[in-house]
Parts: sequence; C-alpha cells; structure tokens
Amino acid sequence: MSVQITASEGGMPHNKVMAIGLIGSIVCMYLTYLNTITGTEIFSFFGGIAAVFALWWGTDTIKHLCSYGLGTGVPSAGMIALGSGVIAMILATKLSTMGLISSVMIIPIGCVIIAAIIGAILGYIANNIVNMNIPVMIVSLAELCIVGAITILGLSAMAAGSFVFADLVTGSVTFFGVAIADYQASVIGGGVIAVIFMLGAIAVQHAFNACLGPNESQDRTLMLAAECGFLSMIVVSIMSFAFISAGSAILAFIVSVLGWVYTYNQYLVMSKRDAYMWLDAKPILEKKEA
Amino acid sequence: MEELLFGIGISAVAGALATVSGAAEDTESDIGSQGDPNSQVQLAPQMGYIHRIYSKAISGEPPAYGLWCAMGAGLAWALMAINYNPVLAIVLGSAIAVFVQGVYATTAYLGRTASLAKFEQPVYIDLIKSVTTVTMAHAFIAIFTCVAMCFLMVNALGHPFPLPLLGLVWGIALGAAGSATGNPFYGKERQYQSQAFGAGVPISASGNIVRYAEAGQRSSLDNGWFTSKMGGPASGVCFGLIVFLELWRTIFFEGFAAGWGAVIAGIVLILIFMIIDRYVEKWARKTYGPYTEEAAEEASA
Repeated sequence: MSVQITASEGGMPHNKVMAIGLIGSIVCMYLTYLNTITGTEIFSFFGGIAAVFALWWGTDTIKHLCSYGLGTGVPSAGMIALGSGVIAMILATKLSTMGLISSVMIIPIGCVIIAAIIGAILGYIANNIVNMNIPVMIVSLAELCIVGAITILGLSAMAAGSFVFADLVTGSVTFFGVAIADYQASVIGGGVIAVIFMLGAIAVQHAFNACLGPNESQDRTLMLAAECGFLSMIVVSIMSFAFISAGSAILAFIVSVLGWVYTYNQYLVMSKRDAYMWLDAKPILEKKEA
Repeated sequence: MEELLFGIGISAVAGALATVSGAAEDTESDIGSQGDPNSQVQLAPQMGYIHRIYSKAISGEPPAYGLWCAMGAGLAWALMAINYNPVLAIVLGSAIAVFVQGVYATTAYLGRTASLAKFEQPVYIDLIKSVTTVTMAHAFIAIFTCVAMCFLMVNALGHPFPLPLLGLVWGIALGAAGSATGNPFYGKERQYQSQAFGAGVPISASGNIVRYAEAGQRSSLDNGWFTSKMGGPASGVCFGLIVFLELWRTIFFEGFAAGWGAVIAGIVLILIFMIIDRYVEKWARKTYGPYTEEAAEEASA
C-alpha cells in the first residue's frame, strides 16, 4: 500500500523551471570565479546559490519522474542524482588540465555536458536494459545527473572558494606558523565532499518526498526545495571556516541564514494555506459518518 | 601486547558508544514515526482514521542517519581544523547537525500532513512544538555517540578514512541497524495493539492504527517510553555488536596472514551468526507454531 501520487495541476511548466534552474545555476557557478579575478574569497557563497537553483529544479524533475508511480523511489532518485553527479563533477574539475582547453572557465559548462551524457547513459540502461519503460526516464535521469553534479560542484566551490580540482585536493595546515600544503586538509581529501554528497542527496529528494500526497502543490514543494538548499548552505558555510578566510565564511553564513529564514517562513505560510485545519492542542477530529 | 590491549580497550569503548547510539537512534525514529512504520501513519487518514501521531518522512533511516552523522563528523572535522578542542568540536558539530535534523523533521510533518487535506487530516501545531524537541534530543545522543566513536577509530586506532567519511559509513550502518531491528517492534506491535498477537496485518486493518491511549489520545511521545523498553535496547545491542566485533576482529587477527586473518575471522563470524539465526528461527517456529493451522481452523469454522 503506497500513497497515490497525483502530480498537481497548474503551476509553472516543467521546462520553465528547468530553464531557470539551469541558467541560474550556471551563472552563479561562473560568479564564484570572481574569487580568482579579484583575488579574494568573498564570492564563494555564489556556489551555494548555484546549488539552491539546481536543487529547486531537481525537485521539479523528481516530481515529474515520480508521477509515473514511483512511490518509494523518491529517495532513490535523489541518491542516483548525486551518485552519478559526483562522477561528472570530479571529471569536470580536471577538464582544464586535460590539454584541450586550458582555461578553467570550461569547468561549469563542461560539468553540465558530462553530467548530461552520464545521465542519458544511465537512463538508457534503466529504461531499455532493466526494462523500467518510463517515458521520461532518459531525460529525467540526465536532468538529475546535471542537478547532482552542479549541487556538488557548487557546494564544494562554496567550501573551498574554487572549483578547480587542484584546489579541491590541496588544503593547508599551519605547522609552527608555517602553512604546509596537505591533502588530508582539503575538501576531497578530508572527506568533506562526503558531507556535501549527503547534504545534496537528502535535499534534492526531501521536498517532493515530504510534500507528496493528493493535495501537493507546486509552489509549496518548490519553496521547500529552496529551503533545503539554503539549509545545506548553512552547514557548508560553517565547514568553509576550515578552508577560506573567516570574513568570507561569515558572509556566506549570513547569506544562507537570511535565505533559509525567508524560505522557511514562506513554507510555513504555504503549509498553513494548504492544510485542512491548523490546530493547536486540540483533540482528534473524528470524521462524521456519512 | 600493550598495543593490543589498548586496541581492545578502544574497541570496547567504541562498542559501548555504539550501543547507546543504536538505542537512541531507534527511540528517535519511533517517536518521529520514521522508516517503514511511517507508511501506516500516512495511510490512516486515507482510510478515515484521523490521528495525532507525528509523521516524519525524511527518506529512509539509513540515508537520513548517513546525513546526520556525516554532518556531525564533517562539522567536527572542520572545527578541529581551525584548532577547536576535539570534545567541543564534536559537541558543536552534533548540535548543528541536530538543528538541521529538527528543521527537516518539521518540514516533513507539515508537508505530508498539509498534502492530506483532502482526507480531513488537520495539522496539529502543538505536535511540532512538543515532539520535534524530543526527537532532536534523542538524535543528539545518537549523533554525538556515533561521531565520538568515529573519532576514536581515526585518532586512537589509526583508521585511514577521514572523519566525515567514517561518519557517513557508520551513520548509514546505524540507521540500518535501528531500522531493521527496532522498527518491527514499533510498526508491527505498537501500531497494531488492537490486533491479536501474531495475527499480522490484514489488508482490511491497514491504516487502523492505535490512536487512543489508556487515557486520552495517543501521542508519539508515548512511543519513546515503549521503545526504550525493548526495541531501543535491541537496536543498541545490534549496532554495538556490529561495531565491537568489527573492530575486535581487525585488531586481533590483522597480524595473521598479512591482513587476511581479519577477513577470514569476519567470514567465520558471519557463519557463526547465520547458524545462531537459523537456530533461533527454528526454535521460534517450533515453540509458537505455524500460523497456517490457525488459518485452517478459521476457514473450517
């Protein structure tokens, strides 16, 4: 017995959500590059905003995919998104050192392209070899893989201040006042990317998983997706104290808290709007026998 | 010899921490109705049974606890990197992780309940105030002990994985242990105390969960008391044994056959547990009898 999922009518069309999410996240990824141009770290938080855009879009994709009766498949959709995305993301961060194009500007757009290819292959396997036969499977898995890749790339860039592979595997340890490069103290070597992975994987599936039901409404679900994104940003901003300057990390923390408070508040208002009744300390209202 | 004794001592402490962690995890998830019992809590309003039970659908327990423990460990790792005292770092990391857990819990309850408006299930806002804090408290104990155990593995036993990655691995194991051991106790017994013991849940009884208590209406808080008697400790013993035996076999047998000793010991342990499981299952079937006979009697009557 699983809850019947009825995708809500109306609201924003999925293609529009996808366009906003894709363009918004790529623009924000490039904005983190201002760090390198200006020689500071204060633009790191744009990586988190890119992840929020991606998660917001990914939630609508999961809703689209799961309207084909995948009740318990909602959390697994989040896992496959981030699981395939992390492969694309790590490959993309090395693109600038592979010889073809040496500019690091290739990384965000390259990440999207690689993720789309990996996602499409996974979708093909799921649909044609495992025979799941869901019409939107290939497109949805390609979208989810891009979402996962951008989420991890964005949050890693937010933590480390850069999306280049060399910066993600080199941290610095101060030893008797001398800074020494250390793999163990980096985003990937320290295992912080594992936290980012889980933050993204739970955040991308939570919004639809939490809101599914006959009275699900798109604006509430998407508001919750943004809330989950900002909540993940709060955690990453605290972890970024280990990698970037305290001022930049505090700025990232303030931006994420402001975003979170706004979206959480909006989500409460929308839940109150959609709920059957909003009761405080009242007994069970038994249904009247019809 | 001294190193071996030290290793066994650390294994015992880690096992003890894991036991507390497992017990707290299962109590937390039962109070919040997470995991598979959650499906019945959600189904109830659709079958016409309006209830005042918390419904915390944040993925399954293993991924959710993977996140909480990875987060606690990652934050503790980052705070230690900027020279915080390890104890303080673990406490702060777990506290921030619990904050995130609490936020996820409230959004899950509000989301699922508001989406059931068609079935006239109201949102009971006092549930959020009273139950969320209790699940957060239990989650804090579970996360703190799990992260402390991972910290011991890294710093005392020299585990090669970084702390956040160990947090993820053991967090998933913790959620799986609690979900597999403790949940049947809540989902199959507590929610269906109106059914005869061992009767299973027929389709007609689906969603007819216990909604009224001995006095007044059942709150999810009562599940904490119920779980802490049996389901919680059972999950704790399960997770504690997993952690202790895992570390014990590695420390004791790693020296044999260039590390293969630990692998062989692991396989032997699995075989021993399979034999015990088989014996317990046969004993239970023999002692409590097969269900089929009762069904046959009912059919003939």
